[in-house]
Amino acid sequence: MQRVAFLAVLLVAGLALPPALAQQGPPIRIGLSAPLTGFGAPDGLSVRQAVELGVRQLNAAGGVLGRPIQLIVYDDQAAPPQGVAVAQRLIERDRVVAAVGGSYSGATRGAAPIFAQNRVPFVVGYAVHPDITRAGEYVFRVGFLGPVEGAGAAEVARIYFNAQRIAMMTMDNDFGRALAEGFRAHARKRELNIVGEVIYPLGEKDMAPHVTRVRAMNPDLIFVSGLFNEAALITRTIKQMGIRAQILGEEGFDSPKYLELAGRDAEGVVIVTNLNRDDPRPVVQTFLREYRAAYRMEADMVGASSYDALRIIVDGLRRAGTTEARRLREAIAATRNFNGVTGVLSFTPARETIKPIQVQVVKDGTFRFFGVITDPEIITP
Amino acid sequence: MLLQQVLNGLTIGAIYAIIALGLTLVYGVLRILHVAHAGIYVLGGYVGWLVHAASGSLALALLAAMAASALAGLLVERWLYLPLLGRPRIVPLIASIGLFIALEDLFRLVFGPYALAFGARPPLPSLPLGPLLLTPAQLLVFLAGLLLVGATWWMAHRTRVGLAWRAIAEDPGMASALGVDVPRAVGLNFLVGSALAGAAGVLVGVFFNAVEPTMGSVPAYKGLAIIVLGGLGSFWGAVAAALLLGVVEALAIGTVGLLPRDAIAFLALILMLLARPQGLLGER
Repeated sequence: MQRVAFLAVLLVAGLALPPALAQQGPPIRIGLSAPLTGFGAPDGLSVRQAVELGVRQLNAAGGVLGRPIQLIVYDDQAAPPQGVAVAQRLIERDRVVAAVGGSYSGATRGAAPIFAQNRVPFVVGYAVHPDITRAGEYVFRVGFLGPVEGAGAAEVARIYFNAQRIAMMTMDNDFGRALAEGFRAHARKRELNIVGEVIYPLGEKDMAPHVTRVRAMNPDLIFVSGLFNEAALITRTIKQMGIRAQILGEEGFDSPKYLELAGRDAEGVVIVTNLNRDDPRPVVQTFLREYRAAYRMEADMVGASSYDALRIIVDGLRRAGTTEARRLREAIAATRNFNGVTGVLSFTPARETIKPIQVQVVKDGTFRFFGVITDPEIITP
Repeated sequence: MLLQQVLNGLTIGAIYAIIALGLTLVYGVLRILHVAHAGIYVLGGYVGWLVHAASGSLALALLAAMAASALAGLLVERWLYLPLLGRPRIVPLIASIGLFIALEDLFRLVFGPYALAFGARPPLPSLPLGPLLLTPAQLLVFLAGLLLVGATWWMAHRTRVGLAWRAIAEDPGMASALGVDVPRAVGLNFLVGSALAGAAGVLVGVFFNAVEPTMGSVPAYKGLAIIVLGGLGSFWGAVAAALLLGVVEALAIGTVGLLPRDAIAFLALILMLLARPQGLLGER
């Protein structure tokens, strides 16, 4: 634990703002695990900022159950061992009533069984791996299951692009593999023609050898999985090699960092994701506006998903009327038609989310509405 | 496709070559394994990024990065290596590793943990060579590589400074006795080697459109593998080993697929040490 104490970054938010309404009692502690340092640091920053914004908004509106919310944030460096350590610390030391999982699949997979065994509700923002919610009754997911999102991408290739020759570039980790699995399964069902797949390691810099292989497959659409760094490098290399095929990405692309690194090569790239910036619902536009005002940058998918995870916990607390773990869990499990930033969502008995898959396109350096996948056969996990 | 992969590999190899040349220069004269060279390379990347962001000029960014890296290299030589020269060789090596780690963390603190977009478009055309394609970024790397390797070779083999380097490498005491200004020649050696590292930092920054604190960690050990592969201190050995490694990596990944790219250099290193310990072009 000494090492954890040294490594973990402790940030206490939600105490700074004076409550607008009378609040009594000690604060309700909610934990957050996010990759604040390491390769996922930009996503970690988005997550922390979005959840802190949520806590400030909720406290300004009087908190929950007449008590303010206190957020406790730790860095899991997107590493599974660190995810386990953070979970133990939040549960044993900080005695949180629930936690938001604001990290990638690796760290979240490590943390989920700890929360499940200790019966502390754990609502995961955007990690896609199937094993996470299988950890137990206390683990929920706001984002898409990897295979669901992958299937959604295959449907986009079919209905929006009528793709005849599809190549896949798959990142070799939990995230990339889970997406590819869903993509392949749906492509098989709809008899789409996948001409080849290239698998590359996480953290790869020189994409030229991989993209050269894809070029030889002569595709008309390339489904790429990757986080913003890999996604940007692949996008640039595809464009530099003069390949005209449509690039179809996923939520890993959904970051201001991707737009910055890929620059004008990103124009026209289409992605499947959780967040529709052009959604007219006030909850979405208020979030985007207040985030921009607070941080002078655009909100992204990881932030919006983690923000929703926090608000689902708070909604559960309100309906349960108590912080008692079992009743809070029941209330969260009963979430139906929750008005979230990432969509109007409900939980299945397996604690997975059902919500439409958003399709966005890069236009003039920002993500805009392109389409939406609502077919229940695809979006139901 | 095979030829395109060779071309891809040569591009990466050219970058390796520029980094490794600086290392092999330093080794050739001081017999120090200069791990912190990779830190100087990252410094070059950041200085280039700053100057490019401020001025928009890639040429200016390249020059500024080379100047800043040269200066930093000189400081490292004067303040770190010179005082340790009399010690066993492991001492400057450990100091060098320590400095490299410290630099990596310094960059992280100053510039943040994530990649910064370089945002430069080299003012060069895309060059189609039959079925092959040389992208503007690849062309830039090749041209810069040719220029830098050529200039360094000329300096090392056709000037009095180069002669002094070789004399010092043979026997520093004798060189000094014959009137070679050893501290000046060694200082110049670090200036040139470090300027190469700075240029490589900018080229990589432009090529991958990213400058980040950890960009030096792979070159730090791969550079060492390359100069050992080529034959320690051998000029053309380092260039040949760098290009060869780049091509082997690209072919392995481009034909077989998922391979641990960074392990290839070390597999080659182990085989080379077993079969030909003096390296590709080294002398016994």
